[in-house]
Amino acid sequence: MTLTPGWRRLFRIPRVGRRGIERDVDDELSFHLAMRVEKLRDRGVPEEIANAEALARFGDASRVRDELLTIDQQFAREARLMDWLDSVRADLRYAIRTLRRSPVFTIVAVLTLAIGIGATSAIFSLVNGILLEPLPYAHPEQLVSFAQSYPEKGLDSWQLSQENLAMYRDGASDFASFAGFARRGVTLGGEHPERLTVERTTGEFFQVLGVAPLLGHTYGNAEDTPRTNSVAVLTYAFWQSHFGGRRDVVGTVLDLDGEPVTVIGVMPRSFAFPRSDTQVYLPLGLDPTRRFGWFLGGVARLAPGVTVEQAHRQTTQIFRRWAADMPQLLPPGIVPERTGLTTLVRPLQSAIVTDVRRPLIVLQAAVLLMLLIAVANVATLQSSRAAGRAREIAVRGALGATRTRVGRQLLTESIVLAILGGVAGAALAWIGVREFTASGIVTLPRLDDVRVDPRVLAFTLLVSLACGVLFGLAPLWHAVGRRATSDIARAQREGSHRGARRVNNVLVVAQLGLSVTLLVAAGLVLESFQHLVRTDLGFDPRGVTAISTPLPMMKYGTNASAVPFTETALRTVRSLPGVRSAAFVQVVPFSGAVNTDGYLIEGHAPPSATGTEKQVVTNVVTPGFFRTLNITLLRGRDFTTADRDGSLPVTIVDETLAREYWPDLNAVGRRMRLTGDTTWLTIVGVARSVRDEDVATPSRPHMYTPIAQQPTTWLTLVVRSDGDATATTDAVRRAIHGIESGIPLDGVRPLTQYVDHALDTRRMTEILLGAFALMAVLLAAVGIYGVMSLYVSNRTREFGIRMAVGAEPSRVVRLVLSEGIALAIVGVVLGVGGALIASRWIGSLLYDVSAHDPLAFTVLPIALGALAVASCVLPARRAAKSDPLVALRAE
Amino acid sequence: MADTESDLLRSSLDLLILKTLSWGPMHGYAISEWIETATDSLCLVEEGTLYPALHRLERRGWITSEWGVSAHNRRAKFYKLSTTGRARLRAESPVWQRNAGAIAAALRRTSSEIA
Repeated sequence: MTLTPGWRRLFRIPRVGRRGIERDVDDELSFHLAMRVEKLRDRGVPEEIANAEALARFGDASRVRDELLTIDQQFAREARLMDWLDSVRADLRYAIRTLRRSPVFTIVAVLTLAIGIGATSAIFSLVNGILLEPLPYAHPEQLVSFAQSYPEKGLDSWQLSQENLAMYRDGASDFASFAGFARRGVTLGGEHPERLTVERTTGEFFQVLGVAPLLGHTYGNAEDTPRTNSVAVLTYAFWQSHFGGRRDVVGTVLDLDGEPVTVIGVMPRSFAFPRSDTQVYLPLGLDPTRRFGWFLGGVARLAPGVTVEQAHRQTTQIFRRWAADMPQLLPPGIVPERTGLTTLVRPLQSAIVTDVRRPLIVLQAAVLLMLLIAVANVATLQSSRAAGRAREIAVRGALGATRTRVGRQLLTESIVLAILGGVAGAALAWIGVREFTASGIVTLPRLDDVRVDPRVLAFTLLVSLACGVLFGLAPLWHAVGRRATSDIARAQREGSHRGARRVNNVLVVAQLGLSVTLLVAAGLVLESFQHLVRTDLGFDPRGVTAISTPLPMMKYGTNASAVPFTETALRTVRSLPGVRSAAFVQVVPFSGAVNTDGYLIEGHAPPSATGTEKQVVTNVVTPGFFRTLNITLLRGRDFTTADRDGSLPVTIVDETLAREYWPDLNAVGRRMRLTGDTTWLTIVGVARSVRDEDVATPSRPHMYTPIAQQPTTWLTLVVRSDGDATATTDAVRRAIHGIESGIPLDGVRPLTQYVDHALDTRRMTEILLGAFALMAVLLAAVGIYGVMSLYVSNRTREFGIRMAVGAEPSRVVRLVLSEGIALAIVGVVLGVGGALIASRWIGSLLYDVSAHDPLAFTVLPIALGALAVASCVLPARRAAKSDPLVALRAE
Repeated sequence: MADTESDLLRSSLDLLILKTLSWGPMHGYAISEWIETATDSLCLVEEGTLYPALHRLERRGWITSEWGVSAHNRRAKFYKLSTTGRARLRAESPVWQRNAGAIAAALRRTSSEIA
């Protein structure tokens, strides 16, 4: 009889091995030869001749033998593979049938996993898109960001002047190309003038990034001189929104700040440098003779084979040579080599994402902890089923299934479950990521590159498989780990043997420990965020609307004419209903822009050399600014309309600056001046310090000057209003347009939004971490309850007997509870240990909170421990109700 | 497969084996004897070439094998036509006959003209 592979498997007949195959082949061939010889002998041929004749007729026997061995070995291999595939298919069928038989378990497990895996994949898509995915430019590994540093002057990251830019571009051979860029606003003229976000770049900008335009061409150094700069390259988004993607846009002339500018090209969609909200690129009009004015960001492409370190050395030399020529910069007798003057050359990708790297990694770690809890949860569910399935498994063992075989079957089941969870999780992640990126709740660098791509899906699959193996271990332990599977009756009776109980204990401790770690870490971050939000900024952004009102350059080019405009506008706006106060300001807090300058205080020894003055943040305001933002004036007075061109030049300094020279803040009447300006400004007031760059860092010294004495067309109207801000804002816009129709008024934002955006990354971390921790606690609570219930139901018989022999129900309750409390204590202690490690690691995300914050480290673990004990109460009460009769009858 | 024998010869040998086994299970020696007799020793110049063909057919699933005892009370490997092998035989032989007939007719022609 022939055995089909299926039968072979059933009876576990081993396939013939290499030795067996050889023997069979030899037997077959020698049988043939023997038969031939016999036949020849029968015909009367002598023995030796018959042998020779048989061999001759057979041909090359050793070649045939080799050929047969090859064929048979291949055949055997194929058969083994088929067997294996067959068994996998059978396991899968069996697993799916089993899962379908317990739909509630399956659904709960899949959902739990879907949440864990979904969150993990969603965060991984952020990590992937922002941190891992290479920048969408040619040879991104050659791209570096570039800045200068002069720590002695407080210039940790110092941008480039036009002279700086030209000297690196022309002098640094380690760079294949070098460009600078600066963000500017320009007004697009037309029927409805509009403010555009423009990046002014030097000529090699597009060459550095190595991206070809989608349409037309880009500009180069030839278009980037002070005289020739009337061309523009559009971003894809701007082309779509303003030209409907029309292909004949090249050649169109735009009215930008009253100048005709010709569109020469459109960039592809993926091009979003340095920021994705850029609308138009314009040549800067580089003037290499401009030594001062450090406002350019630098980006460069390394020459082939050059390392970041080499480029850093070369550019630092150039930088120091330049500085040596600048007596303003260096104290006399000091050579650049003895200072901290250096350039900052960093791989572009890490430079772009530097602020979000740590938060993202922390989130990924947090979500993995949550996933582990979800896995422990499913393992608990599995355990409870394994106990119930002990009989089934024992039967299979008795029927001849080996332990490995049963183990493989159970593992297949777990993996099927995990993959179902992974598929659901991937769907959740996809929805989550789409909503998150579209919502615009937070602005992250490279958010456009975040999507669920093949790498994320591969990650999801891998995570799912790992989860399957992990929680598949629990039932394996139950089923296969037990030594004797022969005793069916006992297997049925005892779901609670020692090994299984140990697994359950590990599960409880793990879930509790992980959730304590996660919750404490989240607690620290949440507390930090609360501190940040409650940080006194020195001004009150609530109720203030910022309306960007850039004045048309052409008309107000002389700047001085801006003053009458502001006065008329303020008079009109202040008279509007709902407006409490209003003012113009040059730089709105948290708008990302900041002007700094060196300063001197009269009567204080000037620094040993010009150029080494301390730095102050300067801002230009109209009267009423301090009142509008609720910035307290600690000394002196606000500016008035009497502070005008020709009257005494005045300034208001902030507390930080004043304290440095006059600890009692009596600064009024003193004089100071900005470097490069010979006019002495008299201090007429001291304002409270405001944080306007970063919520988490104390503010730098500030000084304010009145617009009438320092005219500018770069203005934002700030309005504090009562009641309906929208209605007031509309009235304000109408009023402004009534005075000057050429102003684009589309930049209207509540001041709180500026502050909020500054907290974006932190807010995202806080919200997501909080959500993960909450989810983790929920999962852990459910899981612990599950384990304890299982524990009780497995010992129903024991409790029944205890009570039958006279144990009080309260004793049984105590027994169960004490077990629970012991586990809770171990879990909490381990969790606190984990949290101590975690808190050190997330130190940089904390603000005004100690990494060992007693509140987070006591209240939260105790609360969780209590929750764990509480989830034992119900099972304990159930244990106390164990009826001895029922328990015994169940035997 | 690194065989030098032509495809034609091999496929005809395969077909012959299937045909042989259509009479019932046989061991390799019996198959070679039958083919020898049936083809006047034309198709099996070397008997050894039969065995790779047999093993290949087995791997393809057209024949199966099992060890049994020969008429002379020796351990021998018997081959048997499988269901797919039988179907194969039924499908192939008419094709082969038609082709062989056509080729033979063509080879018999004496003129290059197209009739």
